[in-house]
Amino acid sequence: MTDVALRVADVSKHFGGLKAMRNVDLEIADGERISVIGTNGAGKSTLFNLIAGVFPVTSGRIELFGHDVTGLSTAKRAKRGLARTFQTSRLFEQLTAAENVFVALGGSEFRGASLRVAWPSSKHVNTVNRWSRVERLLDRVGLGDKGSAIVADLSHGEQRQLELAMALALQPKLLMLDEPAAGFSPAERIHLVRLLRELPEEITLLLIEHDMDIALAVANRVVVMHDGEKILEGSPADIRASERVREIYLGGSLDDVA
Amino acid sequence: MSILTKPTDSGLVEPLPVGTPQKSTWQRYRWILWVVVLGAALAFPYVVDRPRFWIPNIGIKSLWLGTIAMSLVFLNRYVGLLSLAQMTLAGIAAYGVGYMVVTLDQSVFLAVPVGILVGTVAGFLVALIAARTKAIYFLMITLAIGQVVYSFASQSIEVTNARRGLAPIPRPDLGVVDFAQLHIFYYGALAAAVLCYLLCRYVAATSFGLALQGIRDSPERMSALGYNVNRYRIAAMTFTAFIASIGGVIMVFDRAQVDPDVVSLSSTLDILVVAVIGGVGSLGGVFVGGIVLTLLDNFAQNVTERYMTLTGLVFIVVLLFAPTGLAGVGKQVVRALSTRRRAPQAPTAPDVPTPPGITDPSNERKQQ
Repeated sequence: MTDVALRVADVSKHFGGLKAMRNVDLEIADGERISVIGTNGAGKSTLFNLIAGVFPVTSGRIELFGHDVTGLSTAKRAKRGLARTFQTSRLFEQLTAAENVFVALGGSEFRGASLRVAWPSSKHVNTVNRWSRVERLLDRVGLGDKGSAIVADLSHGEQRQLELAMALALQPKLLMLDEPAAGFSPAERIHLVRLLRELPEEITLLLIEHDMDIALAVANRVVVMHDGEKILEGSPADIRASERVREIYLGGSLDDVA
Repeated sequence: MSILTKPTDSGLVEPLPVGTPQKSTWQRYRWILWVVVLGAALAFPYVVDRPRFWIPNIGIKSLWLGTIAMSLVFLNRYVGLLSLAQMTLAGIAAYGVGYMVVTLDQSVFLAVPVGILVGTVAGFLVALIAARTKAIYFLMITLAIGQVVYSFASQSIEVTNARRGLAPIPRPDLGVVDFAQLHIFYYGALAAAVLCYLLCRYVAATSFGLALQGIRDSPERMSALGYNVNRYRIAAMTFTAFIASIGGVIMVFDRAQVDPDVVSLSSTLDILVVAVIGGVGSLGGVFVGGIVLTLLDNFAQNVTERYMTLTGLVFIVVLLFAPTGLAGVGKQVVRALSTRRRAPQAPTAPDVPTPPGITDPSNERKQQ
């Protein structure tokens, strides 16, 4: 049997009087591809942020690869193999795309606090290795020729690709993507789906997605959230066929969007 | 597949390393500016008409004002924190030197390292308190700490000798170099300031410096990447405290004494004014800011009795018309000149301006 990558056990989150999430259970096996879908305000992002450790749970327990991480900081969870992207772009705007990935690599395998110069022309073996990793990551997400561009000059789509490169820089065991297709053109969507499908099998993927097509295309299991609760769970085919999802999520026929 | 092996695939070989930002005209010709500025700084003691006035009041004072302001600019530019404690830390270093020399009667060889150490450790302690906050709260906490130090300095008889301060702290004759001579001391201060500048540039170029810039742009992401953001902020603040302390040591020998004035609010504001006039984004610009402020201090009285008002007006004019400071104005001038020079050289259409949509490579790095 495969191991459990992530276990969310009976987790609730209240913001003052607002019960954003109520008693959610979720279990993801190693290497699984899960999409969480739901309308705005369904609690998708709350779930995401609780797993990432952005804010504490009100009750319940979160385990990463068999370890209780409920009380751990974002940085400590990252060290345990969790990487995430951000919905609103929070890249390092004034650095180049390559420098962004370079910094991202410092969080995990390369020690970020080195007092050696980080110029690409540097001859030190660590720095050389780190820059060549940067190059390969940029190539992988299709930004091979954009390395020296300042992030603020990249298009929206390119920034999202860079997001992904930075998350992959951590060599995550669990990769969480927060609406990676938001604001994408149709062509960029196709590119993204291909990219996600090409991810190494050992990476467990948790995708929060508003867009049904992408959510169903990438996942092998889909979780539907509504009003702070998990209401349904099943294969993409089940979800596509579900009358309930149609009612709640779309308010109409799935064929309209498919 | 090992990630540490050298890449052999084709397509990975590029003429320019992947992360190299394209150099703007400004960056390419910057060295000429540095030669001119350093030449002027070296010649300064010999070209002024009244050296006994100019060297200490304009030259040396600009250098320590600039060095302390540089520590503020480093924090602001690379970490995104605006600290009002930098003058306080410099003052603490100055008090460290004063206490060693005046109260404990120690040699300067011991007093200077102790002063710098005291200032740096104080910076570390301030960082422990302030690093968790940001923006306006960070500003208020650093300001409050400065006020606490000021009241302590002006009230403690045993440590700081209250309002009378610690004196005399003469410039030392070290045998090989005689800092008692004004122009020798000036060159010592100049060397210290240049070294501080180079050190700041070096730290900014390391992977530690890149991580600091990551924290400036997006602390949330830095945590998500596994960085301990607080620890980095504390390290950066301790480093800038070290730079400020060096400025403080130059200051204490320049003034030959240390009293609560050096940690007062008005001294703190002087540093802020120097940083803003020079340009809060420019490490080198602070020295221009220092020169402007010292010139105003010394000569505005000849023009008007309200010289503080004049300083304030200059401050406002700079904020209004040159928010990137005088260094920013300099860059704009160089860029304007270089584009005008380049336009006629365009091979295809000499007199046609660059069509819209084609970006000038010199604008590659976003300004501000």
